[in-house]
Amino acid sequence: MSRRLGTLTGAAICGAVVFSVWPEMWKSYGIFGGWMTAAVVISICWYMNHWLGVIDNPEGKLWVDQGWAVGAAGIAWAMVRWQGGIDAFAACLPTLGCCLIGGALGGVFAYQVKKHLPGAGKPKGG
Amino acid sequence: MHELAHWLGTYNSSLGLYNAAILTTIFGSFCVSFTVILCWGRLVQDLGPIGGMLSAAIIIGTFWVMNHKLPGFGIHPELMKSAAGDTIQFGLIQQGGHGGAPWIDMGWAVAMGIWVCGLCESPAGTLNRRLAESLPRIALVILGGLIGGAFAGLVGYTGAELFGWPETAPQHP
Repeated sequence: MSRRLGTLTGAAICGAVVFSVWPEMWKSYGIFGGWMTAAVVISICWYMNHWLGVIDNPEGKLWVDQGWAVGAAGIAWAMVRWQGGIDAFAACLPTLGCCLIGGALGGVFAYQVKKHLPGAGKPKGG
Repeated sequence: MHELAHWLGTYNSSLGLYNAAILTTIFGSFCVSFTVILCWGRLVQDLGPIGGMLSAAIIIGTFWVMNHKLPGFGIHPELMKSAAGDTIQFGLIQQGGHGGAPWIDMGWAVAMGIWVCGLCESPAGTLNRRLAESLPRIALVILGGLIGGAFAGLVGYTGAELFGWPETAPQHP
């Protein structure tokens, strides 16, 4: 139970902090603000969720990344923030589809490349 | 060649994306997912937690510029409009509906890539079990993200303005 509570809480905090900080940093400092936000926000969220293990990832099981939380938070945040309604939500689905296809392709390619590349690491984090 | 250029510049109104944007979105997602899977784990192996925090900056930060940099400060201050009346986008992952549609983050791509790579690596006969085991955890993380994102979005009700875009999103032509 507490593992699930940790998973839920870590995901919620990661999603909230990304979309609270990233747009403001970009607006204030431009491109470098966006780059800095990754350094500040993703690093501490990764440290909490994946290094300390607040998001439950048992040994030997499929890796569940905090990226799911960031992606979901992007949709929830924008729906609430911009009050766009169901039409606006439908407008994001093609991008979401392309994004998932591209990500899955990256996973398949990475698997093929890693097979012949023993130096590549095990997915602790990411 | 001219036909190809014409096709790339064609606006697919049912998807709300230019054909070129479909390609850039898939390619941008592919790049960040591949790089994270190959580099992040190894950097953590080599450097410990410092490697992970370094990865956040040099991988996610750099690919944010590639996939998500926005029109406005640092690119064009006036939110320049395209021929279709949309705000011109510079990042590879094109946001649909421009200002009204929810934000699609490259986190989807990274998470999906790591998950698919894990599925491919599953030893023979364990695929279904591993898949079924991971789905509740994914659902929980997505639920957590929805809760956190919704709370963060509540500042929209304080009258704060985002990106200089109007609160009611401009509709697509």
